[in-house]
Amino acid sequence: MDGADGTVRVKPGRGFETETDVAVSSPVTRQKAAAAKQFIENHYKNYLQGLHERMERRREFQRKVQEAQLPVEEQDEMMRNLARRETEYMRLQRRKIGIDDFELLTVIGKGAFGEVRLCRLRSTSEVYAMKKLKKTEMLSRGQVEHVRSERNLLAEVDSRYIVKLFYSFQDSECLYLIMEYLPGGDIMTLLMREDILSEDVARFYIAESILAIHSIHQHNYVHRDIKPDNLILDKSGHLKLSDFGLCKPLDDKYSSLLLEDDEMLSQDSENQSGKSDADKAPWQMPKEQLLQWKRNRRALAYSTVGTLDYMAPEVLLKKGYGMECDWWSLGAILYEMLVGYPPFCSDDPRITCRKIINWRVCLKFPEEPKISDEARDLICRLLCDVDSRLGTRGVEEIKSHPWFKGTPWDKLYDMEAAYRPIVDGELDTQNFEKFPEVEGSPSEAPQVGPWRKMLTSKDTNFIGFTFKKSDITRSMESSGSADMKSNGSGEAPSLISLLGRINMEEGEGGELNHKT
Amino acid sequence: MKAGRYEYRWADGTTMVSAPEYVELLMNWIETQIDNEHIFPKKTGEPFPPNFEDFVKRILRKLFRVYAHIYHSHFPKIVTLNEQAHLNTCFHRYLLFVSEFQLVDKEEMVPIQKLVETILKP
Repeated sequence: MDGADGTVRVKPGRGFETETDVAVSSPVTRQKAAAAKQFIENHYKNYLQGLHERMERRREFQRKVQEAQLPVEEQDEMMRNLARRETEYMRLQRRKIGIDDFELLTVIGKGAFGEVRLCRLRSTSEVYAMKKLKKTEMLSRGQVEHVRSERNLLAEVDSRYIVKLFYSFQDSECLYLIMEYLPGGDIMTLLMREDILSEDVARFYIAESILAIHSIHQHNYVHRDIKPDNLILDKSGHLKLSDFGLCKPLDDKYSSLLLEDDEMLSQDSENQSGKSDADKAPWQMPKEQLLQWKRNRRALAYSTVGTLDYMAPEVLLKKGYGMECDWWSLGAILYEMLVGYPPFCSDDPRITCRKIINWRVCLKFPEEPKISDEARDLICRLLCDVDSRLGTRGVEEIKSHPWFKGTPWDKLYDMEAAYRPIVDGELDTQNFEKFPEVEGSPSEAPQVGPWRKMLTSKDTNFIGFTFKKSDITRSMESSGSADMKSNGSGEAPSLISLLGRINMEEGEGGELNHKT
Repeated sequence: MKAGRYEYRWADGTTMVSAPEYVELLMNWIETQIDNEHIFPKKTGEPFPPNFEDFVKRILRKLFRVYAHIYHSHFPKIVTLNEQAHLNTCFHRYLLFVSEFQLVDKEEMVPIQKLVETILKP
């Protein structure tokens, strides 16, 4: 039965007092209600995920214990041991983490939205990269979804091809992502140092990039912004996908750029129907300008504009895009590795845009340096229409291209990398650009939690940002209590070794050596 | 703070406060309890205090009052804000938890007894 004012009334039988005034809620109330709902949904989602993971670990552990054919009482003891460690682990998870838990070290990246710097977790002395993003900048530049996507991807995808996220948290001023520190620098640094790469080196890194990109595609993520600055090298020279660029190229600035280009686009169409002016393309850059472009490359990466050079035409045109847009980006990177500069390079972002959209006439290969026919063919099959682009119907299309003949896809990350960066100690930042430590005028100290007091309009955009990586093996190793004693014969596997195998199995897909 | 015919006062009856004030005081107090490492230890291996259960019972008993107040005084508005599923989920879980471990006396739940009985009915 509806009330007289059309709203649903609480049934009298329940004994509740009837609200005499059911006024329309104020905007503040509606905002707080929306924030509360999001908070509650996020809470239960995390809770259920944690529960699921605990049950999974228990099942797996139980299976291993039984396979080891231990006596029943020993099996029971080990299961009780696991339960106790899970409890201790949950206690560790309860501990709040914030900026005061870290010692701030060298700045290795700085941009419009914030900075990236080395930091050390005080309690363990472990070194991480801290990506710090200003909330006001996120909001004013429409970056909320971008940073949320990054956090969600990193929290969800646990892969050896992707930089690891260990913690995320916030205060009233900033969002923080605490990530794995990869001291080898990025592919952009490598390209700026080496000018061009040999085809063997390029093949190695393009192959590792394919595995990394495929890894996020398998989780239904499209990166959309693959570029040399997002391909980071660890201390052994192996590649991981990240997003240290601190910028999102495709925003309103490019919408206006494209609008300006509308007129030029129609002119270009006329040109194409007429005589081909391929011999003297208006956007061909003289060598001197190319060199200047490369010198400006790093600064461009950290600006709000970023670089468009690797972006697929369908992304630029906002016509709707799928995962295959990342394969275009890979083609542009391969071109740069072998030729020395991106295929649609220009000082003017509008010209770069135009070149990409007109890739049919603008994709050209210089006389020097020489590249193999297979490499050229692969580039042309990646920098092309979506329908005919390699990878659109699966990653195997790319892997089976002749240029990759002989590539040991299953061993890439286990073999020696094609390039080994120089890294002196865990705090070494020589593979990153140097930044001055000058701090701006310190604003008032940012406030940390509790959530009830942070529900301003700014903070409702960042609900659910906190994250802690589940690394139960590590927390177990740090536990002071000893594993149960072996059976005396040394046959009984230790708890840690069993879990270690589980992680190894999950991570590498290798078979365990079953006991005979 | 009221829940039907019942009135809750802060500091166990000595201070009369409005509902928003009561909730604010309660949440602040609960936060200090949870952050107190003598009650809720964080370091590995640190034992819980012998009277840990008493602390938990006190927190959960007072939390019930917030639920009672919301259901009694604000449920139509909760429905208007399309938030009833969230509220019911939280309360449902709270109730199952305190019942399973007998952390809140039945007398404390009288203000919304019918709702409680509906949820707990097997």
